[in-house]
Order: sequence, then structure tokens, then C-alpha cells
Amino acid sequence: MREADMTLQFELENQGEGSALLRVIGDVTIHTSPRLREQLKPLLTAQMKEVQVALDDVDFMDSSGIATLVEGLQWGRLTGGRFVLSGLRDNVRDIFSLAKLDMVFEIIDSTV
Amino acid sequence: MASPCVQDVTFSECENSHVGKLCLQLNCNSDCVHVLRSMVAVMTARAGLDELQSNRVATAVDEVFANIAKHAYGGKSGRVEFEAQIFHRGDKSRELVFSFRDYASVGWTGSLEGITAEEPDAETLCPGGLGLKLICSVADYCEHETLDDGNRWQLGFVI
Repeated sequence: MREADMTLQFELENQGEGSALLRVIGDVTIHTSPRLREQLKPLLTAQMKEVQVALDDVDFMDSSGIATLVEGLQWGRLTGGRFVLSGLRDNVRDIFSLAKLDMVFEIIDSTV
Repeated sequence: MASPCVQDVTFSECENSHVGKLCLQLNCNSDCVHVLRSMVAVMTARAGLDELQSNRVATAVDEVFANIAKHAYGGKSGRVEFEAQIFHRGDKSRELVFSFRDYASVGWTGSLEGITAEEPDAETLCPGGLGLKLICSVADYCEHETLDDGNRWQLGFVI
């Protein structure tokens, strides 16, 4: 386990045709998840068809981070948009599995 | 005669004693939660847990800390004392125990009874309540005690 990262960074790629990819870099905790929400919310209120959140560079995510992503799931349900998670590391995937959320989210391998 | 060097004492000899106990006092609203995670990493390494198990322990510890910060102190500053220790049990297994003590005026009123990570329904899934489910699915036990001047939590992992 690497030292917990108190910063969270983002890279946003507009992939055209109403698709966006948000790359998250760092640990998502109660202290950093509000920043993830800040980044995600504009995408979920825009007229997007697909929002992909790339978690290749996330070593640790707690329930506040998962709760933020659940908001994306709700967006997809309400609007018919596609909300996708990609590149989950073993530690993060394990937490999704423990919460039995790996069957609820659409999770794909890394797009890198 | 010089005092024995710390390196002369093995971790296993430190267990069950104050020497092997790690203690930390921190502000629940601070940016030093990474210190908490470092402590967990030290203790899980001593316990011989692999990375996945260590991450599960770190998740449960993080969730209790977040629960204190959010519900006991309401997002405001507040003192949290954290202790971690490995105990030998009678059946030759060991137990990794984490204790949290807060001094919040608000007692936690939730219940840990019957919390399980049931398969969520995608249609009705909501963001709240995931933390306690994660704690209960990872830890062998989680106990809460309301005190006159705060709360005490104890998380245990049989190893």
C-alpha cells in the first residue's frame, strides 16, 4: 500500500458525440471525494450520452467515493445515459465486490 | 550499560504489550488521515497480511474514522484518539484490534445489528449507508460504546 495521497487530480477528455472520459488520479476518501463530485456533476448535468470514469490511477477508494459514483449510476438510470467505470485496480475492485456493487456498475478494463 | 536498542526487540515480542501498541491523536477534520493509513500499513505488515487483506483493513478503519468525522463531529474539528495493537488469543490465533475514541457531544445512534452487504438493487440504490456495510463485511467484529463524553469504537480482525 503506498502512502495515502491527500490530493486528487483529474484529466477530462471530451471524446466527441456526447462522450466524456474523466480520469481520476489519487486516493478517493471522505476528504477528497467532494472534489470528485465537483468534477463529475457538470458532466452529469450536461447533455451527455456517455460518461466514463477511469480509475487506473486510484489506489484507494472508500464509501464516500463509491457514493459519489452511485450518483453517476442514478444519472444513467434517469437519463438513459451510459455511466461506465474503467481500469479498476485490484484493491478498488475488491471494495466494489465486497459492497456487491461490481454487478450494478458497468465496469470495463482499462482503456489506456 | 546502554539501553537495549529497539531493533533488539522483535515485533512478536512486542505484541500483547504497550511496546507493540501504536497510538495516534489527530483532528478528524485534518488533512493527516494519511498518518492513520500509515499506522494501519505498519500493523497489517506486522500481522503478515497481504496487500489485499491490508487494503480491506485500511478500508474498515477509514470508514470508522469517516463515520466519526461526519456523524459525531458533524464535519467540524474534533479530537480522535486511535490505537492499534495485536493480541494473542487463547486458541493461538491473533487479533488485530483498532480502537477509536472521540469526544463528540453527539453519541452515535445507529445500529450495527444485522448489517450485511446484500445484493443491491440498481433501481433503488442510493449513495448513503455503504460505509457501515463495508465495515461489517470486512471486520470480524465492530463494537460501539456511547460514553458520557463521547464514543468508543473497536474494530477486530482475527489473523
